[in-house]
Amino acid sequence: MLRAIGKRDRDIFEEVWPDKRRIVLKLLRQDTVSQREWQDLFFGVHFVCLWDEKGAAKIYDCLQQDIVEFIVQAQSQVQAQRGEQALLATYIVEWRKFFTQSNYLPLPFRQLEQSPQVKPSSSSSAASASGASTSAAAAASCSGQPGSSSSAVNKASASTSAAAAASSAASTSAAAASTSASTSSAAAAGAASSGSSSSSTSKKNPTEDSPVRKLMLDSWNMHIFHDIKHRLQESAMKIVHAERNGDAYDAQLVVGVRESYVNLSSNAEDKLEIYRENFEMAYLKATAEFYRLKSAEQQQENGVLAYMKYADAKLREEEVRAKRYLEPSSFNILTYTLVKVLIVDHLNSIIAECPALIRDYETERLNLMFRLMDRVLHGVGVEAMMSDLQRHIQSAGLADMLSASEVITQDSEKYVERLLELFNKFSDLVRNAFNDDPRFLTARDIAFKTVVNDTSVFKMELPTSIANRGVKYTAPESKCPELLANYCDMLLRRTPLSKRLTSEQIDARLRDVLLVLKYVNNKDVFMRYHKVHLTRRLILGTSADSEKEEDIVEWLREVGMPADYVNRLARMFQDIKVSEDLNTQFRSSISRHDAINIKILNAGAWARCSERVSVSLPIELEDYIPDVEEFYKKKHSGRKLQWYHHMSNGTITFVNNFGRYDLDVTTFQMAVLFAWNQRQHDKISYENLRLATELPDPELRRTLWSLVAFPKIKKQILLMEPAAINSPKDFAENTMFYINQEFAIVKNGKSQRRGKLNLIGRLQLSTERSQQEDNQSIVQLRILRTQEAIIKIMKVRKRMNNAALQGELIDILKNMFLPSKKMIKEQLEWLIEHKYMRRDDDDINMFIYVA
Amino acid sequence: MKVTIKSWTGVATWRWIANDENCGICRMSFESTCPECALPGDDCPLVWGVCSHCFHMHCIVKWLNLQPLNKQCPMCRQSWKFNIH
Repeated sequence: MLRAIGKRDRDIFEEVWPDKRRIVLKLLRQDTVSQREWQDLFFGVHFVCLWDEKGAAKIYDCLQQDIVEFIVQAQSQVQAQRGEQALLATYIVEWRKFFTQSNYLPLPFRQLEQSPQVKPSSSSSAASASGASTSAAAAASCSGQPGSSSSAVNKASASTSAAAAASSAASTSAAAASTSASTSSAAAAGAASSGSSSSSTSKKNPTEDSPVRKLMLDSWNMHIFHDIKHRLQESAMKIVHAERNGDAYDAQLVVGVRESYVNLSSNAEDKLEIYRENFEMAYLKATAEFYRLKSAEQQQENGVLAYMKYADAKLREEEVRAKRYLEPSSFNILTYTLVKVLIVDHLNSIIAECPALIRDYETERLNLMFRLMDRVLHGVGVEAMMSDLQRHIQSAGLADMLSASEVITQDSEKYVERLLELFNKFSDLVRNAFNDDPRFLTARDIAFKTVVNDTSVFKMELPTSIANRGVKYTAPESKCPELLANYCDMLLRRTPLSKRLTSEQIDARLRDVLLVLKYVNNKDVFMRYHKVHLTRRLILGTSADSEKEEDIVEWLREVGMPADYVNRLARMFQDIKVSEDLNTQFRSSISRHDAINIKILNAGAWARCSERVSVSLPIELEDYIPDVEEFYKKKHSGRKLQWYHHMSNGTITFVNNFGRYDLDVTTFQMAVLFAWNQRQHDKISYENLRLATELPDPELRRTLWSLVAFPKIKKQILLMEPAAINSPKDFAENTMFYINQEFAIVKNGKSQRRGKLNLIGRLQLSTERSQQEDNQSIVQLRILRTQEAIIKIMKVRKRMNNAALQGELIDILKNMFLPSKKMIKEQLEWLIEHKYMRRDDDDINMFIYVA
Repeated sequence: MKVTIKSWTGVATWRWIANDENCGICRMSFESTCPECALPGDDCPLVWGVCSHCFHMHCIVKWLNLQPLNKQCPMCRQSWKFNIH
């Protein structure tokens, strides 16, 4: 070596290299290299680079030649193989050998990295340090030009010391590795057994950025790979194909090919470039072709239902297979391809099965179908299933309701129970078949809404025309809210139903009612009926459980009922409590009024009692009234009482020859019966009764009818002449009424001498005329609410287009009722006419608030 | 035959005894509320002055608060005193 220093003019490269070259060839061939030789190589490279100006380039060129030569040899070996498996196996063996060496061989040549001669010839400026140009340079490097990545250069100085340390470590390992001739395959197997992570193991390799390594890989790529990659791919795909058909093959062959694709890439920016453009593409193509044939075949042979199972199984199977044969980056695109071939291409025939499956309640199959469809992009399949479900619930629900219409229109208990049964059934379906997926829950809710608000089974007629501000308004509506309110009443009142159930059961049913109520469009109808029932319960004191009464008020608040409505309900309870206190005080003030109860109501909070009915009270009562009024005036100055006798009621003792009975009656019934107190055996004409009671005609007819034809009792308290009158309308002025002296309460076919009987029935809270008004008042209230809401919105927005306004309007009103398009339009017109707002001059759909 | 009353529950609502239909301040009906309130009745009571004029309590209190010196009835300009019955 010292001699060489003296001959600095001579070609040092020529002198030193042939010796070193032998070591390089040994390394390439994976022959044994002694530690000394290994170290010599380091020194040789260093020496040449140091003393020969062009040493680095010379070494590089020489190295390239050697590598190419070696590769060509390997190629001929591989190409010589005829069989597919043999080809793959040989290729993999050769490749692994080569690849292992590509990790060691570059180590002695690290010094080349610093040599300007070995750097890429590109004239790019400092900007070439950026990643994009690096990859461009790498792509161009197939020409054999060594493309040293510029980042490596930047790091070079920093990594020198590290590299030095690494090189000594690597040298020992290389020496150890080369001790046995068969090491290569063993090492390769080791690398393979470390699985698909082989690409990541190389990341930590210090030779990663080495130009020599790049040279090696690029040369391999150019000389072998390029020529036989198609054969390789084909062979690999044939193996996969055979495996799909159930034949067992050595999966490692495919894995090995994949690894060579991945590791071949010298492109630092995109390590998977070669893999993706070749192997992945071939794999996807092969997969698609395989299943295109298979799926059609399967479907034809076994039908769509079996095919769904097949597709599902294959999707899973392929996922597992992909984990073996593909890089993780390919999983998504593979799944996409599979879904396309296995599901999307058969979408229509699969979807066509959906309605029947829903009808037959085939939750398992539906669930399978849902899982398949859920893989399809953009939810096309799921949407189709959703609309199938929605259609089914609607038609099945309505059909069910219609088939039972005779019972359920009359019996609110049966109706609500039937409805709930229906809901539970479909909710179960959504849960079991669609895992309560929110999209299907929405579809279910829409369908429920349709069923609940449907008017074909039963409807409530709202007034056809109202002379309110010139608005004519027609709307048949579902009777559902009314029936719901009735059912609530049955649960909250003392009825056979509420007695039969435990408190928890009642709670559960009330919750159910609220559940259904959620789907009701016109909640205002429910509110009105609920309030009427509550009024009746509070006045007659027939609540089964006063705590529950107040609970449900809070529940109604929770489900979003308008606050002013709920507050009014709460107010009603308060009035009743205040009245109880008042009663106590009243009784203690005047001893003789033990029998008198008063209920003083807050006019604003209670059900509308627009009309007061005059009645001539029995003398005894007439006496009490002034006392009550006087008492109240003392308690609350500045207030006066207004009596609502159609709501007041009492208990009378009725004595005849047969026995003695306590009868619960309305005040009107009381007034009528008292007409006979002075002339017990007389027959009194309708006309005279009217004069005596001073009741208006409709109320008198109704009251009399309740006394001559009270439902479900054997003996009526009043009899009439002529007896063959079928309705209260048929009473004539001269129809005669008289007390039934034989009246008795009949129990089990036996007349009782004592007993209690309720003749009130359903307390009439309103007169006949005001009932019509009530229906109108619903519509009127809706009109006002709509106007109010429009103004409220416009006041904030100032300018708004029609669509947005309608949207917000429905949002505000949805807890009360669903405003019809027609009504909204009419109210907008009315507001414009009355100068609350105007249309934009240029845009007829734009409204402007007029202050 | 004889009918006697054993017990009776009378139902009534109460109204204000006012000398006018509407509140002279807010012009709203006494049967409804002042503009601030939602529920008529106890929540929005009426008050009377010794001059016999009556208003929603909320209205007259607001009015009186706006009159720093002479607290007068807005109707008759007599000095305002609440008439406590």
